[in-house]
This record gives sequence, C-alpha cells and structure tokens, in this order.
Amino acid sequence: MNVPDEPVLGTDTSSSQEPIGEEQDVAGNISRLLGSQPFGVLCTQGWGQPYGAVVAFAYDSGLSALAFCTPTATRKFRLLEESSRVALVIDSRSLHPDDMMKVEAVTVTGNALRLAESEARREWAQRIVQRHGYLRQFLQAPSTALFRIDAFRYFYVSRFQEVTQWVPPRSG
Amino acid sequence: MGTAPEWLIDLSVTPPPAARLVGGKAANLSRLGRAGFNVAPGFCFTVEAYERFVREAKLDELLRMELQRKPLEAMRWEELWDTALRIRSAFVGCSFPITLSETVEHALNRYAAPAGWAVRSSAPGEDSHAASFAGLHESVLPVHGTAAVLNGIRTVWASLWSDAALLYRRELGLDPGESRMAVLLQPVIDGRPSGVAFGCDPRTGDAGRIIVEAVPGRCADLVDGAVDPDHWTLDKRTGATLSQRSGNRNSEGAAGALLLSPAQLDAIRSALSEVEARFGWIPDVEWTWHQDALLLLQARPVTMPPSDPADQRPWYRSLKPSPARLKRLARRVTEQLIPELAAECDRLAAESLDRYPNTELAHAIRARRAAVDRWKDVYRQDFIPFAHGVRQFGVYYNDLVRPDDPFAFVILLGGENFLARQRDDALCGLARRVAERGALADALDQLLRDPGSIDRESFTQRIGRLPGGPAFLDAFDELCREHFDIAHEGVRLAERPEAILHTILERARMPRARSLATEVADRERYFLDAAGPARREEARALLDLARLSWRLRDDDNILIGRLESQWIRAVEAGAERLRRKERLTGTFAFSAELADRVADALQDPSLAVNVPPTVAPPADPGHRATTARQLVGQPAAPGLAAAAARRIRDSADLLQFQAGEVLVCDAVQPTMTHLVPLAAAIVERRGGMLIHGAIIARELGIPCVNGVDRAMQQIRDGDWVTVDGYLGIVTLGHAEFDLEVGRPARRQDG
Repeated sequence: MNVPDEPVLGTDTSSSQEPIGEEQDVAGNISRLLGSQPFGVLCTQGWGQPYGAVVAFAYDSGLSALAFCTPTATRKFRLLEESSRVALVIDSRSLHPDDMMKVEAVTVTGNALRLAESEARREWAQRIVQRHGYLRQFLQAPSTALFRIDAFRYFYVSRFQEVTQWVPPRSG
Repeated sequence: MGTAPEWLIDLSVTPPPAARLVGGKAANLSRLGRAGFNVAPGFCFTVEAYERFVREAKLDELLRMELQRKPLEAMRWEELWDTALRIRSAFVGCSFPITLSETVEHALNRYAAPAGWAVRSSAPGEDSHAASFAGLHESVLPVHGTAAVLNGIRTVWASLWSDAALLYRRELGLDPGESRMAVLLQPVIDGRPSGVAFGCDPRTGDAGRIIVEAVPGRCADLVDGAVDPDHWTLDKRTGATLSQRSGNRNSEGAAGALLLSPAQLDAIRSALSEVEARFGWIPDVEWTWHQDALLLLQARPVTMPPSDPADQRPWYRSLKPSPARLKRLARRVTEQLIPELAAECDRLAAESLDRYPNTELAHAIRARRAAVDRWKDVYRQDFIPFAHGVRQFGVYYNDLVRPDDPFAFVILLGGENFLARQRDDALCGLARRVAERGALADALDQLLRDPGSIDRESFTQRIGRLPGGPAFLDAFDELCREHFDIAHEGVRLAERPEAILHTILERARMPRARSLATEVADRERYFLDAAGPARREEARALLDLARLSWRLRDDDNILIGRLESQWIRAVEAGAERLRRKERLTGTFAFSAELADRVADALQDPSLAVNVPPTVAPPADPGHRATTARQLVGQPAAPGLAAAAARRIRDSADLLQFQAGEVLVCDAVQPTMTHLVPLAAAIVERRGGMLIHGAIIARELGIPCVNGVDRAMQQIRDGDWVTVDGYLGIVTLGHAEFDLEVGRPARRQDG
C-alpha cells in the first residue's frame, strides 16, 4: 500500500526519503513479448511509399538482431532492395482484444540485410525453423530470401501510452 | 434463470432473492421481512440492470482505462479520489436505456412515497458475514420523481468505484469485468427517532453488551455525523442500562431528555437478539420508530475496526465531513486555529535569540520543534479534513452543471487574499519596478552572476551602492521579511536572497500574466444560474466554503513553513555559537536530528557536534541503454508546451530555474508556488487534480501533468520535454531518427 500522507509538508521531521523507483527491466519485457508472438508487421518504404506486411520472425538472445524470410517476387522484397531501413512492430493485441491498457507493443528499427548462402544464413534459418517449423521447405526454396534485421533500438509501449526506448548492445 | 433478465425484484417476493442478484443489503432485508420483522418495503434494481447500463454506455471500457492508467497500488489516495470522481461523472452523464428507465418508472408507481425515495447501494458480497464494508458506497435520499430516482441510481452505481471502495479494492475483489452493483429503492420512512444498534460493542467486540444510538430525525443524520446522538450501553442478557448519555444538540430536545424510553430500548434489544438467533450473525442495524413500532431499515453483520494501526485507510475514509461538520470545522480553523498559528509564528519571529544563554537557546530549539510537531498534528486532525470542502463542492458542482471536464470547478477556487497570492503580488510589483529601470535590472543581473555576492551582508551592501539600489533594497527586505521567512526543504528562503532576486529578475522579463477574472465570473454566474432560485443560496454557501477551504489549505502550509523557519533560525543560532567555540565541525545542513544534537550540545558543554559530509548522489552515468520516451500521468491542467526541463530538488535549485523552462519536481509546495508563473509547463511526481501545482497551473493556463511516478529519476536537467496537459503525457526528446541515419547520438535536449 503506497498511500502517503496527503499534502506535502515542507521539512520532514521523519527524514524519510521517497524510494527511488526500480529501473524497469525493459529488455526482459521486450524479450518476453517477442517470445510470445510468432508474427510481426514488417514496415518497409520505397518510392515515397510506406508498406506493411505480416512476417514470421526469429531473434537472437541478446536482441541485437531479428530475421524473417520472404519470396523474392513480393512487394516487400522490392522495397527492401530499394531501402534497407525497416521497422518491425510486434504486439500482444490478440491476447487482449477488449483491453487496450493490457496490450504491449514493440517497434524495433533496424537495417535489413539479405543473407546469402553462408554460415550466418544457416544459423538464422535454423532459428526461424525452430520457431516456425512449417517454414522449413519454404526456406530452402531458391526464390526465398532471408533477411537479418540489425536492430538500432526498440520502443517498448505499455499501458496504452508509456513508451521506453532500449538500445541493444552492439554485437561485434 | 437463463431466460429474460431480472431487472427488478420486489423485496416481498417468495422465496427471497439471491444476494448475487440483489446484493447483500437487499437480500438481508428481504429475508428479515420474510422472517416477520417489520422492515421498510421496496424493491431492488438488480445487478443485471447494472450490467446492461454499463455495457450499453460502454462504461466498462472507461473503467478499464481509469483503473489501469497506473497500478492502483502506486496511486495516492488523492489520485484514487480523482479517479472515482471521473468515473462518477461518466456514470452520471450517461443516459439510461429506455427499457430500464421504463421499468423503474413503472415500479415507482406501485408504492406511495410522500417523503420521496431512498436509493441505496446493495453490492453482492458487501454485507456478507465475511466482509462487511459499511459506508463505502453511496446512498441518495430523499429524491422525488422518476428523473431524480434515475439520477440517484446512476450515482449509487458509480459508487461501486468510489474512492473508499478503491481503497479496499483487494478485499472487495473489485474488477471492472466482474464487479456489479444492485440498487435498493424504498419509500423514505419519515420515522423518529431513528438510529443504529449493535448486537455487541463494536469497539471491543464484547458480545455481552448492546450499543444503541439515537437521533431525533433521520438515521442519515447520525451516519453523516451531522447530529450528536444519544448513546446507551445495555446488558445483552438482562437489558439493564450500563451507561447512557444524551447527545450534545442545541436545537432539538432539551439536554438530558433522552430520545428512547426503556420499552423502546427493550424492543431494539429483542430485535437484535432475534436477528442473531435466526441468522447466526451478530447484527448491526439501522432502525427508525414509525407508527409506534420499531422498523428495521437495514441489517448486516457487525464488523470490527481494523486491528492494524499502520493501516491508514480508515483515516482516509474519515475525510468526508458532513456539511454541518465542515461548517463547524470552518469556524474552528478560521476563527481559532489559523489566528493562533499566525500569532505563534509572529511571536517566535520577534524573539531575540541573541540574548538567550545557551541553556535557554537549547530550550527554545526544543520548544520550536514541539510547536512544529504540534501544528502538524493539527494539520492532520483539522486542516486536512477541512480541505475536503473543495471536494464536496466539486461533487455538488458536477451534479448541478454536468460539465464535460469533471475538474472544471477548480477555476472558481482562486482568490485575492491568499498568503501565496499576496506574496506573488509583492514579488510581481518589485519585478515591474525593476523592469521599468533597465539599468537597475542589468546591475542586479550582473550582481547575481558574481559568486562573491552570496553572503547576505555583502549582497546588501552591493545592492545599496547601485543606482536606485537603496529604494529597491528597502522593498526587497520587506518582501523577504514579510513573505519569504519560510522554510523550504530545511532552508530558510529569507536567507537565500539571491534565489529571491533571481526569481524577481526572471519575472521582470516576463509578459504580464493573463487575467482569469472574466472567465471566473462567467463560470460562477453559470453555476449559480444552474442552481436556480431555490438552491441559489445553498450553492453560494458551498462555493464560499470551498474557496475558504482552498485558501486555508494554501495558507496553513505557508504558516507551517514560517513556523519551521523559526525553528531553523534557532538551530542556526545555536550552531553558530558552537562553531565559534569550535564545538561544531562540518557543514551545517538542517535536519531534525541535527537540531536535537545542537540543543543537547548547548546544554552540555562536554558535547561536540560533528556534521558528517553529505553523500553526493551518484553521478549521472550519461549514456543509458534504457531511456523513457513517454511518461504517463494525470492530465492536471490542459495545454501543450515544449521546453527544456529543470528539476527542483532543494532550495539551491530555486536559483537555477529560468523563465520558460519546464518545472519538474516531486510536488509544487506552497513555499515555491512563486516559481510557477515562470514555468512553460509543470511535471510532478505527486498526483492529484486538487493539489497546489495542478490548481495554480489551471489558474495560470500552464499545462501540468502530475502523478508521473519516476519523473525525478527519468527526466534530467536540460532534457527537451513536451508536456501534454490534455492527455497527461510527457514526451522526452524529439521524434528523431539519429541512430537510424547514423548521426551521432545526442542528449534529449533541444
């Protein structure tokens, strides 16, 4: 119960101090949300036109990068060729359709890099398959491109309007 | 069940309705009637009607938003009160589904109600044996006519989310998705006398005793505390009177003439025993004497007072003085307490401490501390309850005017005769004089930039040498003496003349503040017109009381600040003596503990005082991986402003505050309200729509967001801050993409 005395009265003879609020474990909250949501909305841009598409994603434990895959004949692939700067929006609205206050959301900004055949591609394909087993064949198709998003920062939104920014440590 | 919704159930129905449908109060009454007790007739508007109303008006969404805006555990009581008022306004402002209003209208025609209707809460679980929370919810009576009854129903429904209920939300299991409220509708019984009775002594739990209280009129007068009741303690088994006293009432009944005869007392005792025997719980009943017979208005299991002395909630619940008690408090506060406090401040300020030998100075220090403690007790016992005149008015205003903004009434509270206003006027007058003399302003500005001017004496001498300086100095000294001999965070502001001068110079640079006079007059006229001729006098009296209540709430804080200043003055004088004798080392920084040590050392020459150096707060680490971008609080005063932030932590920060900055603080205290007109916006950790910062910000048209929990930790001096006083959102920094486009990271400043 934190209901202190009503008005503040100048000098405090009890010399009590307001406890300093604990730093929120924002990275933990982001990680939990990403773990609970298989899909996000990938936001791309090109020719002066923004575009959004739902993608299945995976992420690394340090949250420094995320990955998704897409057929190369798609609009989002064309736009990614045009501009690698992307955002990915992940949220829990499906869990709380009637209570906005409980919905959490993360917007991560980053740079999307297409991974060609390499150790890195194999590693990220494995991560995607671990979360999305149905994509195994899809990932093996020559017409599928796998992109890694190197995250610049995360905007974590809770309680409708509380926004906290978290910058992941640079890897490498 | 499972077919048509049951909106209305007569209390006389057989079998008695289930408590989950009609609530504990109605279920108990129905069972009492069925068991042959004489109870008031009536019917119950069930929880299903509540559900329908809330669903159609989409109030469930509003409840979720209001109750989850911030963790309820982190809300101060004042914020709970604000939340409850917003919910109440939303409920009262929603129209009734036509099917429900027709049902009520039809039912009202079934009973004659010449004295009007009583609309009472009846929440499921409320009056059960396990959890009885009397008085958390509202009852409205007497009301006449369908429209007024419907209004009463909405008000009672809203009280499911009253401030008191929110305090006990855990015990009540309050949940916007689950909680419901039924409403009991009964013709008002104009019986007399009326009262309460307990089947044991509720203070001690002694089950061998019965307690009876009676007032000449309606029971509501007793419950409100408006009328002092006659009181009896009876032996439960024999009925013998163990003690009795007549209430202290001036008007009705001569002193000593008790309201109940022995036969009436015995009838009440019998009823209590029968209820206990039949239902298995010790009852707490409200009764009235009607048509020569005892009539039970309601019955519930007795609850014992909470045993945890650390539980502050009963005290908060007590902060609802009835109009009569508020008037008595107003008299006591204005005619006795405030003059006494002011006189004590003046007397202490006039004391010449230099003449006292050490022992007497030690005595003066202790006496001043005792005075501060004593007045803080008075503050809690009398000043804070009196401050609720403002709240009472707010509810009255909203019921009458139905404004979109439930805090629109706040603008009516200000006045000319506040101590803070007088201080502000004096400060502004001096600022204007400085503004008119550019050369003096420049010279004073230069003087402030010179660190050598901090010492009071040299400060005075140097101002005195400036052109126009002596006249300014006279006015400045008077300002300090009359208005700034107050303590702020343990520092006497009069001893920090450079901080006061700094504020004067900042004010001199500012345009004149806007005047609200026309807006206030218009709103006041609108309010009194809404009251109509019949209630105009009542409305005017409540407004006057609210203004008085608000003024004294401000003044009492300033006066206690003045009292503390005199305490600090005595401690400083003692510390200086000890320092001269080399019995005090270290840098003096006032605290209650240091004050006691100084007093001890003055009395005992063998003692010395060593003040340890203060521990500096940890340095700001600079770059942080986690930074707040948007903080959410209460929209306490409308408006939108963006500027650099400045935190006020102690009196030294008062000197730093520049016109046009965003003032960020734990709470705007009455001792620092003179800074508010300089601010572009205000952000406070402490939440509340009726706290000083919020009300002054509204008066001045400055956006204010309060109740921002970690404001002081997450906002740094110089951060660029956008304060949205419409939505209660504080945004830190600009909406930039520096990191994304490879620009070097910058601080969140402009």
